[in-house]
Amino acid sequence: MAEAMRATVASLLKGIERYNPENLVNLQRYVDMQANENTYDLEANLAVLKLYQFNPNLYQAEVTAVILLKALTNLPHSDFILCKCMIEPGRLLEEPVAKVLVLAELLETANFNEFWITLMKDLDPLVEGIVGFEDSIRKFVCHVVASTYSTIRKDKLRQLLGNVTEAQASQWVSKYGWTEQLDGYVFIANQDETIRTKNITEKISFDSVAAIMASGR
Amino acid sequence: MSWASAPEPEDGYAGYYGYGEYDMSHTGDPRQDMEYERHYAGHSYIVPEVIKNFLVYFQKVINQRDLLEIQNSYENGFNKLTDRFFKNTAWPEAEVVAPIVGNDKRFLILYKELYYRHVYARLQGGPSLSQRFDSYFNYCDLFNYILNADGPVPLELPDQWLWDIVDEFIYQFQSFSIFRHKSPSKKTEDEIELLKVNPKMWNVHSVLNVLHSLVDKSNINKQLEVYTSGGDPDSVAGEFGQHSLYKMLGYFSLVGLLRLHSLLGDYYQALKALENIDFNKKSLYSRVPACQITTFYFVGFAYMMMRRYQDAIRTLSNILLYIQRTKTMFQNKTQLYDQISKTNDQMYTLLSMCLVLYPMRIDESVHSHLREKYQDKMNKMQRGDMAEFETCFAFACPKFLSPVPPNYELENTAKSKEPFTLQLHVFKVEVAQQIQVPTIRSYLKLYTTLPIAKLAAFMDMSDDELCTQLMCFKHKMKNLVWTKGTSGLDGEFQSASEVDFFIDKDMIHIADTKVARRYGDFFIRQFHKFDEIMRSLKTT
Repeated sequence: MAEAMRATVASLLKGIERYNPENLVNLQRYVDMQANENTYDLEANLAVLKLYQFNPNLYQAEVTAVILLKALTNLPHSDFILCKCMIEPGRLLEEPVAKVLVLAELLETANFNEFWITLMKDLDPLVEGIVGFEDSIRKFVCHVVASTYSTIRKDKLRQLLGNVTEAQASQWVSKYGWTEQLDGYVFIANQDETIRTKNITEKISFDSVAAIMASGR
Repeated sequence: MSWASAPEPEDGYAGYYGYGEYDMSHTGDPRQDMEYERHYAGHSYIVPEVIKNFLVYFQKVINQRDLLEIQNSYENGFNKLTDRFFKNTAWPEAEVVAPIVGNDKRFLILYKELYYRHVYARLQGGPSLSQRFDSYFNYCDLFNYILNADGPVPLELPDQWLWDIVDEFIYQFQSFSIFRHKSPSKKTEDEIELLKVNPKMWNVHSVLNVLHSLVDKSNINKQLEVYTSGGDPDSVAGEFGQHSLYKMLGYFSLVGLLRLHSLLGDYYQALKALENIDFNKKSLYSRVPACQITTFYFVGFAYMMMRRYQDAIRTLSNILLYIQRTKTMFQNKTQLYDQISKTNDQMYTLLSMCLVLYPMRIDESVHSHLREKYQDKMNKMQRGDMAEFETCFAFACPKFLSPVPPNYELENTAKSKEPFTLQLHVFKVEVAQQIQVPTIRSYLKLYTTLPIAKLAAFMDMSDDELCTQLMCFKHKMKNLVWTKGTSGLDGEFQSASEVDFFIDKDMIHIADTKVARRYGDFFIRQFHKFDEIMRSLKTT
């Protein structure tokens, strides 16, 4: 359903129509759809925030919180920052937006253990309403782990993924093509290939000196 | 479109904008009264012969569409006369000028554009509120004339003037928004009343509407698409877009949108406005230096706020190099030169901030200038001095705006600064999240392998905390980097960090990038320069 809406919404965002507050109802409904069906449309969500910016009396904290949570599911893209730049500072202190900001801070500083603890502590109905939220976060965790580690302890990985069961952790491992070693470590990749000491020496191509040599005749 | 105040044809607008609702008689405000007196005294003001001749000549070349002469009058004639007669006062009012030019409506609109621009720039205390409103009406007239015609209007103006129109239009909107948000104690009661009864004046929707209309009318986006793929833009330009006036106004409006969206904090839309412009090609905008500099400044700033430091650094270095090489061209145009100097300094500051957060190689000449003037600041920021980041940001950032009118009664200075404080806050949070990164980097540079426990001891934190920091380092250093295509929003995740590492069990393996000094580029450039000199000597 959300996919079908995508085309209709795109036409609502063209040119000057984007600033028409009458579109807000449809766009807000579309945000809900994204949450229920695990889809994501950054432009539409930014349009909602912009309409709130231009018409502060139409602001809705709940919708904003959902938009921010959806932005977190697209980490490591900096969608969250883009959203924050359009929200009035006063609104950032209100619940439930303030709680989302706390979660964001933990994720952006890679403080994944704290993140899961905080999430479990007050499992907001809002977060529950977003289908696939936790899995998207786990995807991000794996992205960061993959670029940082070549081998990591399995129980550490389990912790970072939110204290999942052994079986679930193994699922994630195989999903990314990693291998579980017998000594309790997970082998991710041979980073030696990509991360190597580089000596950048200057390369002067023939083209750049060709002109000089020609004029030196 | 009832919700947006679209410019309407001339006969309808008087009532629509409430033009007749306020009158300019004695109000008790000395500035407004002085204006009223000049308005009436103006009829007896004798316009000097030389000015009369200039205006008549100017009108003639505009009607004849003699582009070269129009440019000459616009850039030299007008400015010389300003310096001679109107250094700190306004030019004669339009009513006085009208009989000299035979009440040529079109010329008077263009004249008033210059008139108000001069008032904003040179008059002590700036424009009065009624002058702001009048200037707004004049822009409505101008854009109505251009946009609501049946066919393309028979007018040609030099690119520099077209850019200045769009640039000034947004600048006056910016100035008005800032004025509107000033505390009530700095405004008179009449001004507050006028502001309250004229909410549509300098309304953000109208400004956006103008820019979008110019973009749509000229089909500039389609033209750019076709142009980048090597086709002929005229084939998609449509009736209006084929004319240089509409095409360039459309183009400059795209840059206008980039600027306007950045001022409102919407960096995504800002970059999206330019999605059909390929920065690495020398294209349409190169001919107006002020436009190019504005474009690169806002693009660089947007990239920085989006945490795309590599793109920001590349963009800023390019334009700073360009300014370095073309600085001599602006020496004789003082106002332009001052403007460019200020933006130049702002961009250097932005570049220094980005390089602290994301060290990477840049061009030698830009780098040496940075080392000369900004090394102190950079050192402070590298050590985690948040106050220095704040000062630099405050200097380098654009003047952010709020799109909505304030509550005129309340004395709320915090609210008027809100747009700026929000952007500063977002930036500071981002910096605070990365504050440990430079320190970790400096330790990593010293080793090829380092056990986690050892680095944790150096950093005075637990092993687990260090692992979190290292993951944070990796996350922040992997930027989205533009690689191909025209849209500045596209990109792939890359890490071009000087120092890179990975963790194997409990050991950190570090890869450093050693760069050899580049001599080739410098010598090749010097060769070419000498060659040119020799050639020019030979021909003289």
